[in-house]
Amino acid sequence: MTAGSSARSRGSAIRREAVLMARDRSVWAWWGVVLFLSVLAVSAGWSEVRQQTTMIARLVEADRVDRLAVLKAQRDWGSAAYNSFHLTFDPPSDFAFAALGRRDDAAWKHRVRMLALEGQIHERDAGHPVLALVGRFDFAFLAAFVLPLVLIALLHDLRASERVAGRHDLLVATAGHGARVWPLRAALRTSGVFVGAALPLMLAGVLGGTAVSTLLLACAMLMAHLLFWALVCTGLSAWRQTGEVILAALVALWILLAVVVPAAGRMAIDRAVPVPSGADIIMTQREAVNDAWDLPKSTTMAAFVERHPQWADHAAVERPFAWKWYYAFQQVGDQKAQALSAAYTAGRQERDRLAGWLALAAPPVLLERSLQALARTDLRASLAYEARVRAFHASLREFYYPRLFRDEAFDPAAFTALPDFAAPSGPH
Amino acid sequence: MIARLLAIAGAEWRYGLRSRLALGGALLLAGLLVATTVLTALRIQGEATERAHHQTDADAAFLSQPDRHPHRMVHYGHYVFRTPAPLAVFDPGLDAVTGQSIFLEGHRQNTAMFASSIASADLGGMSWLSPAMVYQLFGPLLIILLGHGVIAREREAATLATLLAQGLSGRVLLVGKALALLSLVCVLLLPLALSAGLAVHAGEQPMAALALSGAYLLYLMVWGLLTLLASALLRRRAAVLATLAMLWIALTLVLPAVAVSAASALVPIAGKLETDLALLTDVRKLGDGHNANDPAFARLRADLLIQHGVQRVEDLPVNLRGVVAQYSEEKLTRTLNTYAQAQMAAEDRQAAALARYGWLTPLLAVADASRAVSGTDLAHHHRFLREAEALRYAFVQGLNRVHAEKLAYADDIRRSSDAQAERRTRVDATHWQLLERFRFQPDAAASRISQAAPQWWMLCVWCALLVAAGLVAAGRLRP
Repeated sequence: MTAGSSARSRGSAIRREAVLMARDRSVWAWWGVVLFLSVLAVSAGWSEVRQQTTMIARLVEADRVDRLAVLKAQRDWGSAAYNSFHLTFDPPSDFAFAALGRRDDAAWKHRVRMLALEGQIHERDAGHPVLALVGRFDFAFLAAFVLPLVLIALLHDLRASERVAGRHDLLVATAGHGARVWPLRAALRTSGVFVGAALPLMLAGVLGGTAVSTLLLACAMLMAHLLFWALVCTGLSAWRQTGEVILAALVALWILLAVVVPAAGRMAIDRAVPVPSGADIIMTQREAVNDAWDLPKSTTMAAFVERHPQWADHAAVERPFAWKWYYAFQQVGDQKAQALSAAYTAGRQERDRLAGWLALAAPPVLLERSLQALARTDLRASLAYEARVRAFHASLREFYYPRLFRDEAFDPAAFTALPDFAAPSGPH
Repeated sequence: MIARLLAIAGAEWRYGLRSRLALGGALLLAGLLVATTVLTALRIQGEATERAHHQTDADAAFLSQPDRHPHRMVHYGHYVFRTPAPLAVFDPGLDAVTGQSIFLEGHRQNTAMFASSIASADLGGMSWLSPAMVYQLFGPLLIILLGHGVIAREREAATLATLLAQGLSGRVLLVGKALALLSLVCVLLLPLALSAGLAVHAGEQPMAALALSGAYLLYLMVWGLLTLLASALLRRRAAVLATLAMLWIALTLVLPAVAVSAASALVPIAGKLETDLALLTDVRKLGDGHNANDPAFARLRADLLIQHGVQRVEDLPVNLRGVVAQYSEEKLTRTLNTYAQAQMAAEDRQAAALARYGWLTPLLAVADASRAVSGTDLAHHHRFLREAEALRYAFVQGLNRVHAEKLAYADDIRRSSDAQAERRTRVDATHWQLLERFRFQPDAAASRISQAAPQWWMLCVWCALLVAAGLVAAGRLRP
């Protein structure tokens, strides 16, 4: 056979399969279901993101009004710092609608003030616990967990059904490239699933101004994931067994990869990488702050100056109460808890790193994590936000320390120079 | 009649036991159940020990504080930990997503912090596997796998025609098959009985353990009936299987998640930050309880002087500062509680909006019932918050009373400048004993069971409708 005639026969085989499939109503039904679910998932994510964005807009305004009103009533730097709160937040990225990720249970907004940060940063204004437990229907969930099951339903009895119908051997004999007919059928059915799932995502992405590279990357991930399951399904459907045995085996595999491996992995990783208990961080910080009231003021100031030598010349406290001493022991409280707090962050990072490796053995988790990373709704994004809050809090201290330590005259006009929390810049 | 039913059910069992597929599926699920039961029990018991240990430490730390000014103890604060309910070994429920400890201090209501889901390795929502989740998600799968052929198989093998021709009524056949599925469900519930037995041993009321088994019995019966119905109505076995698989994906994976998205979009709740902004504005109007000269307390001061018939604050038999601290804490707490109750009510409304979808998917109904009966639901989380708040208020006001009654006002106002006066304002550390011990207990079994009243209705209505549909289908059973 020449190359030309082989290409022709392949072309006619594709046409034949396409025509056959176009007549198969159950395939169309499944594709319709996928399209419907994808529209549902994308619009649910979309509405959630819009809710979050409008909430942030409301909060930014309310926070500004509240702070202005509070600052107007202040007579000294110390009480101004004590009474005024500052909003920090992590806006959803332009792809967050596809993978809402940790935004359900991890904090993405705070109002902080100049007191010890460790007492504030672990507060979380999280969503509803029952909703977080059941989990949302977003595109990542659909693609990672539901679509493999759809593929299993579509592909498990490719051969078995033909065998039952008595057409199997005839088909193989007449298809020219005998063995090719099954991959071809599987590929066509899988492509339909891919198109049904990806179309609403692309549409929403383009309408919402998501970077094209992000969308293409997401599609590539989705395609790779579907390809994996299609290969597994076609591979197993070659098994000379009844359709129901193949189906049971494939569902068992899905349970293994989507549920058992992740669950066992979580347990193993959490056990292997201990993190300090959060209660200990708060307790350490609180004890330090409380003890300061009983300690000689010079002890606190010495501990403070050790880290902030630039204020050494202004560290003497003569009065029974001085705001600079008050904020110094807040800072010392943070310093005492710093090791624990850093270990808490490092532990979470390490757990996440191991989870990333483990995800390689569980494709659904790999896809979900990858989409969340793309959408910046994963742990790394959450830790990056935490780092921004810490940096902002440090800049608040930088604003007030010179005024408190040099005992500058109170001047409300200076508040225009108050640091402003900036959401992350750049494309995301 | 009974003999016939038993014969049909017995034949179904013999068929099942000979089928490698059925046995393989059953063994896999049994393995999964046993593994999660053991691992969850170990994890929860570890958590329970750790939290009880933290609580003992926190109690000891508070009680071992030296003699000092009572208001210092108000700010020193206290920690409370929630230990898991005995049935949490089966259904940990909200344990992982809500904080399990609260820091209690004067003038503030803190949130429950450090949910374990925050620090745990992130491997997707399906990775919080518990025995409850295995039952909810995979129990139905096994029933489908084992039961989809009960009628369709006889039809494909043409034995259905023979059976009906021999004078066996469709109803008797279907009830016999249903009996087989019901006994399968009962066998499936054995690992649950084991977990429940462990919980009873750990102090759980047997009634709760029974109710929990009842909830899952109803849930699995719903799936058994759905399977039976599909098997009786559809002609081909493959079609039965495909239909039930689609139904399983829809009812256990898709609908619950869609319901979450719908509930959060339809019944949105304001976040804590938003309500806190309004709260702060209200609180600022109340005056600063640290400052007895705050104009907000002028009335209190005047009343106190008249009541005791004296001219000067120094002549009062009580310390004005302590009285002001008590008064302002009371007013502040009233405001804080108003907001906290509004927040809880909003959460309840959203949870109820989600729970209504239990009419559409029995998974949400059984999950709600399971959490309620296990004592790991939203109601128990809220009660933990309320009890922690009650304890906070009690010890803060207890300390404020000591402040008012044991300290001389003259010493109190001079304590920053006069070392002698400062020494006299330190009260004896035995006063710290006023702290109550915190031990969180789940509600009584009866109230937990009635908490899940809507869910019992949902599951029973599902069952009743399916039984009715099954009887209708059985009457029309054709080969």
